[in-house]
Amino acid sequence: MNSILSKYGHSFLVGLQSNLVYRWNFAIRGFFSFFHLAAVFVLWGAVFAGTKEIGGFDLRQTLTYFVTLLVLQFFISAFNEDYQISEEIRNGLINQFLLKPINYFAYRFSIFTAARLVSGALILVPLLVLMPLLHNSLIFPTDLWRIALGIPALLLSAVIQFTIAYCFGMLTFWFLEIQGFVILSMAVESVLGGQIFPLDLLPGWAFRAAQFLPFYYQMYFPGAIITGRLNDPQQVMQGLGIELCWAIVLLGLSQFLWVRGLRRHTAVGG
Amino acid sequence: MLHYAKIWLASARYSVVRMMMFRGDFLVWSFVELFWMSVNLLLISVIYQHTSSVAGWTKYEMMLLVGTSLLVQRFLMGFFWSSIFELGRNVRSGNFDFFLAQPGNVMFMATTRKLDPDSLLNSVIASGVVIYAAHKLGLHPSVSDIALYGFMLICGLAIHYSILVLSISLVFWLTSAQGVEGIYFTLTEFSRLPREAFKGITGVLFVWLLPVVVISNVPAQNLIGHLDWKWAAWLCALAIIWFSVAVFVFNRGLRRYSSASS
Repeated sequence: MNSILSKYGHSFLVGLQSNLVYRWNFAIRGFFSFFHLAAVFVLWGAVFAGTKEIGGFDLRQTLTYFVTLLVLQFFISAFNEDYQISEEIRNGLINQFLLKPINYFAYRFSIFTAARLVSGALILVPLLVLMPLLHNSLIFPTDLWRIALGIPALLLSAVIQFTIAYCFGMLTFWFLEIQGFVILSMAVESVLGGQIFPLDLLPGWAFRAAQFLPFYYQMYFPGAIITGRLNDPQQVMQGLGIELCWAIVLLGLSQFLWVRGLRRHTAVGG
Repeated sequence: MLHYAKIWLASARYSVVRMMMFRGDFLVWSFVELFWMSVNLLLISVIYQHTSSVAGWTKYEMMLLVGTSLLVQRFLMGFFWSSIFELGRNVRSGNFDFFLAQPGNVMFMATTRKLDPDSLLNSVIASGVVIYAAHKLGLHPSVSDIALYGFMLICGLAIHYSILVLSISLVFWLTSAQGVEGIYFTLTEFSRLPREAFKGITGVLFVWLLPVVVISNVPAQNLIGHLDWKWAAWLCALAIIWFSVAVFVFNRGLRRYSSASS
């Protein structure tokens, strides 16, 4: 057990160092994310100009939701892990992992954890700088159960996010170029993950259907727990159950794609 | 002029042949763009389920605005995006030398080399969105209205092109212009919003300093029948100013280019 922890602990530290090299890249990305937030504020500000509540929530609650999702994105989203995995497969860099006692998924996951730690810490900088402008627009519920259920929801979301990216990376065993698939899935994930609009604004039947898809648990679910868009602890517990099922299914799928993909893989050169 | 038209046609022919070689790729990318356009329309549809007006714009007026914004963006992606995006990488790698040796203006050669047929195909769909919204609004624009709309789209395209060339020209000084596409896409988000929604500092920034809002709002208002000639003239002036600045900065950057071959 100790040797396993030390092995992946090293991967984590390497990931931490290599991501700190790109700290400016993350910082710039973080800065421009707040430009996106400006567009969100302008649009929803105009939408709420004629009405006090939409879908049972006021302007502050809606803006809080978008700010929270933006920050969470830097802590739990997969950024370019799919491309990195795809590159490693295409360039034959995975060959070294086939010869060593290291699990490729666990190795990539420890690097992903390190990367999100760096990007998460860096998004706090522009957030703190802009806090004087933002704090009047933010309102969070204070129930303790939200923290107790929100943390496992967030951790499972990170697993789902990474595993989906990992599965897309695995597609490189079958397709040379995966960029199109990744951007296509990004559109689906953005909508069904609640990044374009809060999912509860969808018609009732569509919202219920979305709850059975993995995308709902990528962003909307933890975001809605924290910002008070989901208010029934019983319903949240049910959601956690479905989220756990999806995490297990996706982990199984990622393992299946790895095993099947390796059968097609040809390691050439030294 | 004829010389440049012939060069452009040769590039277009090359792009179409390339597309036919990679048909699967063409299909996937067509779907990617179609999907992202649908996301924007879905957002409007969801918002207008809960309200009847946003900054004084009704649902189909808003759809016309978003359709116009998408149309300009599709044209930019179709005619220039790949070439401008590769320009950054070529300057860094030294492959830009190839453009300096070509028989024509360097900026023209470097920014029009590749066409993206998938984006051009989606521009037909974006036009469909505009036509559908106009139909739902019961609009019957005259030929001169449509011609003016087309002219304004060209002005908008010139401004988008200039902003992108200006951003990518940073590569002559910084050697790396990674992430510029992200900046561009963030800016286009503002072009899908009504001008009336911008207040205070956002108005100054996105309506006046970076004219992304004007590019879509003025042509859309022209079709709807609310054209303000002052704004139309301002759009035209902006196209000239931004294009001149882009040409100037690109040429200044060109002077700094020192190749990168070993």
